[in-house]
Amino acid sequence: MGTAPAQLFPEFLVDTFGLPGVLGEVVASLIGAAVVANIILAFSGVAGPWAKRKITAAFTDRIAVDRIGPFGLLIIPASAVQLLAKELIIPEGVDRPTWDIAPILLPASAMLGFSVIPMGQIGPLNIHLADPEVGLALVFAFASIASVSLVMAGYASNNKYSLLGGLRAVAQNLAYEIPLIVTAMSVVIFAGTLQISGVVGAQTETLATVAGFDIPAWFAFVNPFAFVLFLTANLAEIGRNPFDIPEAPTEIVGGYQTEYSSAYFVLFYLGEFVHIFLGGAILSVVFLGGASGPGPESISFIWFVVKVWGFFLFTQWARAAIPRVRIDQLIEIGWKGMLVLSFANLVLTAVIVGVIA
Amino acid sequence: MSLERPDTADDGAVERTPDELEALLGDLVVDRDDHLNAPGFVIRPDTVQETLSILKEQAGYDHLSLVTAQEYENRYESIYHLKKFDDPTQEVSIVVPADKDTPVSESAEPVFRTADWHEREAYDLMGVEYDDHPDLRRILLPETWQGHPLSMDYDQERPQIASLPEHANPLQEHHKDAESDTMFLNIGPHHPATHGVLHLKTVLDGEQVVDVEPDIGYLHRCEEQMAQNGTYRHQIMPYPDRWDYISAGLLNEFAYARAAEDLADIEVPEYAQVIRTMGAEMSRIAAHMLALATFALDINGDFTATFMYAINDRERVQNLLEDLTGQRLMFNYFRLGGVVWDLPEPREEFFSKTRDFLDQLPESIEEYHNLITSNEIFQMRTIDTGVLPPEVAKNYGATGPVARGSGVDYDLRRDDPYGYYDELDWDVVTEDGCDNFSRLLVRMREVEESAKIIEQCVDLLEDWPEDERNIQANVPRTLRPDDDTEIYRAVEGAKGELGIYIRSDGTDKPARFKIRSPCFSNLQTLPEMANGEYIPDVVAALGSLDIVLGEVDR
Amino acid sequence: MSSDQPFITDESQVVTETRDARMTGQGDRFNSRLREAFGSSPFILTKFDKFLNWCRGSSMFMLQFGIACCSIEMMHTYAVKHDLDRFGSGVPRASPRQADVMIVPGTIVSKFAPRMKRVYDQMPEPKFVVGMGSCTISGGPFQEGYNVIKGAEEVIPIDIHVPGCPPRPEALVYGVVKLQERVANGEASPVTVKPYELEEFSDLERDELVDKLADQIDEDELVMRYNFADSP
Repeated sequence: MGTAPAQLFPEFLVDTFGLPGVLGEVVASLIGAAVVANIILAFSGVAGPWAKRKITAAFTDRIAVDRIGPFGLLIIPASAVQLLAKELIIPEGVDRPTWDIAPILLPASAMLGFSVIPMGQIGPLNIHLADPEVGLALVFAFASIASVSLVMAGYASNNKYSLLGGLRAVAQNLAYEIPLIVTAMSVVIFAGTLQISGVVGAQTETLATVAGFDIPAWFAFVNPFAFVLFLTANLAEIGRNPFDIPEAPTEIVGGYQTEYSSAYFVLFYLGEFVHIFLGGAILSVVFLGGASGPGPESISFIWFVVKVWGFFLFTQWARAAIPRVRIDQLIEIGWKGMLVLSFANLVLTAVIVGVIA
Repeated sequence: MSLERPDTADDGAVERTPDELEALLGDLVVDRDDHLNAPGFVIRPDTVQETLSILKEQAGYDHLSLVTAQEYENRYESIYHLKKFDDPTQEVSIVVPADKDTPVSESAEPVFRTADWHEREAYDLMGVEYDDHPDLRRILLPETWQGHPLSMDYDQERPQIASLPEHANPLQEHHKDAESDTMFLNIGPHHPATHGVLHLKTVLDGEQVVDVEPDIGYLHRCEEQMAQNGTYRHQIMPYPDRWDYISAGLLNEFAYARAAEDLADIEVPEYAQVIRTMGAEMSRIAAHMLALATFALDINGDFTATFMYAINDRERVQNLLEDLTGQRLMFNYFRLGGVVWDLPEPREEFFSKTRDFLDQLPESIEEYHNLITSNEIFQMRTIDTGVLPPEVAKNYGATGPVARGSGVDYDLRRDDPYGYYDELDWDVVTEDGCDNFSRLLVRMREVEESAKIIEQCVDLLEDWPEDERNIQANVPRTLRPDDDTEIYRAVEGAKGELGIYIRSDGTDKPARFKIRSPCFSNLQTLPEMANGEYIPDVVAALGSLDIVLGEVDR
Repeated sequence: MSSDQPFITDESQVVTETRDARMTGQGDRFNSRLREAFGSSPFILTKFDKFLNWCRGSSMFMLQFGIACCSIEMMHTYAVKHDLDRFGSGVPRASPRQADVMIVPGTIVSKFAPRMKRVYDQMPEPKFVVGMGSCTISGGPFQEGYNVIKGAEEVIPIDIHVPGCPPRPEALVYGVVKLQERVANGEASPVTVKPYELEEFSDLERDELVDKLADQIDEDELVMRYNFADSP
């Protein structure tokens, strides 16, 4: 184990401002949650209307938005307000409460996942809301609620394209959730704990020193095979190319979100990006040493941002360059390839760890 | 020379004189009605199947290129234009007159599958009914349309009603049981994957396609009527640009120029032919680039790198074409007897621009190969999907890259030479995979061949003596071909055999102008390729067919 | 081709419904509920409207909609060289529910007009239409055709017409930017009278044609009725 993890964000608030009793803890937790949520919303807001376009444009020799404000940045408020101010069409025959809950569930579930993610420090502030003993299991549980939301949207929309999209989402998530978690378990065997601070802490040691540089014992370096497996399964989990088949614009129009307009569409759009960032956060926690990086501990939030955005860039690169697989191929890769490989990885890791220990 | 056909020792390729054919058909022939391009035999309306199957089985006429229906003062007529895939210069026309009051003749569908849609179109626009046709409905116009618009007594100003029906699942009854059920899905007419306004009536079993039926006519712009209302000399030429509008304009203009020049017996100066050939091949590159771009779009799913790069290369070709013709898309550059103007001045600049383009083309193609064809996922998606066996392709009259991707060695530029193609050194590209991947490969390799042709044309044009640069033959101000002369001529368009049938009636406008659209025949093969596959494969197959709705619907 | 005379010389014979509708006032295309509730006076609402209009003009999602020749030039407009996205309006959405602007790129024919109307109806307000090319103005080179609708405006209201056959990508970029400018200034074209509307079959006026089709079409099926004799 490395250095003792710094105080959690709500505890820090309680101590600093001397908030008393249970009420104080509740208030502190709420404030903390609001801060974290705003960080994530800011990420997604920048990513959705602006960064995604700019990155895609860079891949395809274009410029993209540059007339709306400096670097086109004002497109962010413009898009948000514009979309929210549009007419919300509720098609005839939709399954009402389900249809309304689905778009809220998607970003909410992803946001919940961030409650246990350590996002590094800004000065003395450790942006980490909670650190339960089953943290890793919890974050996967939250992340997988998303597929429920997609099915709800697909089923309730009363549209055949949406239905196909919803069904594809289930099939895909079933096929990839298991390899994802099994691969993560191999890391848990190394770390010996499900607690996220423990998993991160296990990666602080130095693996090797090459030409004066300390290579940290990030699990991506310890077990690159598992890292690649996890990265692939993660792409499928968040539904990006080559696994974006629940949305698949050229095949099933917009998949589960075909019928959604205005605010609900914004929620879906937002949810997708929050999900990408959650995927990046999980990846960095499990394989890339959390928020750690060179330099003092107090600026580690920057490293967290770098890692998460690096993952975002990776998804956009995949989107620009990699063709989409077909649904049956995707299922086949999931069940016959990834699942077998992830279990092999798990067993192998268990044996190696057992022998060393 | 590479243009020699590979020898195929096939009895079907043996050429027969018209008299031998008449002897072969025996009593079936009622009369002779020769066309400029082929001998024509008049037969009785109830012997269509018999006649066509004799010609197909015994004389080797295995390509039903076109079915033309037309109305005379005293009768209706269906003409079956037959060819051989092995040698398209051997042609024969079967003329089937039908009664003026109740125009009924026998369907050719049991002999040639491709006759299905062609006869539906004839019924739709002309009102000829076909006995024994499996599904004689309107194809281009709404089901509820009144009258047959190309027939003589049609009143264009009558009110019409178009309906927006909810389509029923055609397989509902016999697929619905305890274990399985099917779902009907309308893909299109507005859908990102249909490349325009095509409607696919799809029946799904889960994700698998049980039945798909293309429903066309959402872009039926009356091109044949437009051409029949225009004069030969000037008024028709702008329309071909708009049939296959994917920058393939010059190829289409070539089709009209060839048919009309042969009809009116106009000799085109050699210099103009070289310019035409060069321009046409530039058009082909532009068209194939868009095919590549949209196919990548269908497989990748977003406006991604391959799409953008291919569009970028198209821009380069379009710049050249703009220099040459003055337009980006609708060139209107050919004239009967030549082209409208010479190469742009200064000529050296145009040549060097063209050479620059040709020089960087291999690099771009290399990039596409890196990006898509060598990508494992792409190969997984396209190899062995959308399989179209050569026999099926021939039966449906598929031509162009679709046929060549199925190993059918058929290219009118070589087999029925026109323009300046037979003087140049290039190869016909075929692939044997019969799948989506081979069709894409054929297009990518054809781009290279086109580049070869352009390069040779540029060399020729550069060295052409200045006083022999004749771009236009002497053509009378008003063209009036002889009464009742009929001709069917085809060229190799971007999508395949683009043919035009013209019947003159002694005036300066054609009496009947029929377009043989390659996409129309190619699209017919979609159910063969798609049934039993997954939805993404249907989308991929459609992309690899590279249809243009402007040409399908005309 | 409607009449033997190319122009109607008698002023009283001219049908002016369409023209009048275009000339009288602005349509209520920006549906601000607040504005309806408070009237137009409060300062804060005026500023809010201004801001909202700026947002709408600055960010527009296009409908991925291809019809004919012009759609090729439309693709070029989105793509590398012309890059419509520079102006914040170059993201095509496949679903009409998420689109603000529909570029109509091509000839509308009788079979397609009801479907286009349906797609337009599926878009949420406020929605705008750019008519691309001569065909959407008048039927263009195909105006004489028996099957061609004489301009997209017969079916849906059009905000900006971009003439050309086809317009160059630069022209389309100009058209779209002009539309953005108009939207940002709060100007919208009035909803004009459209000759062709979707109707239920049973609502049609009974005449010879309707009677003839009665056994082919269900009572509640949506239909569009064309009067080619009256078209310009």
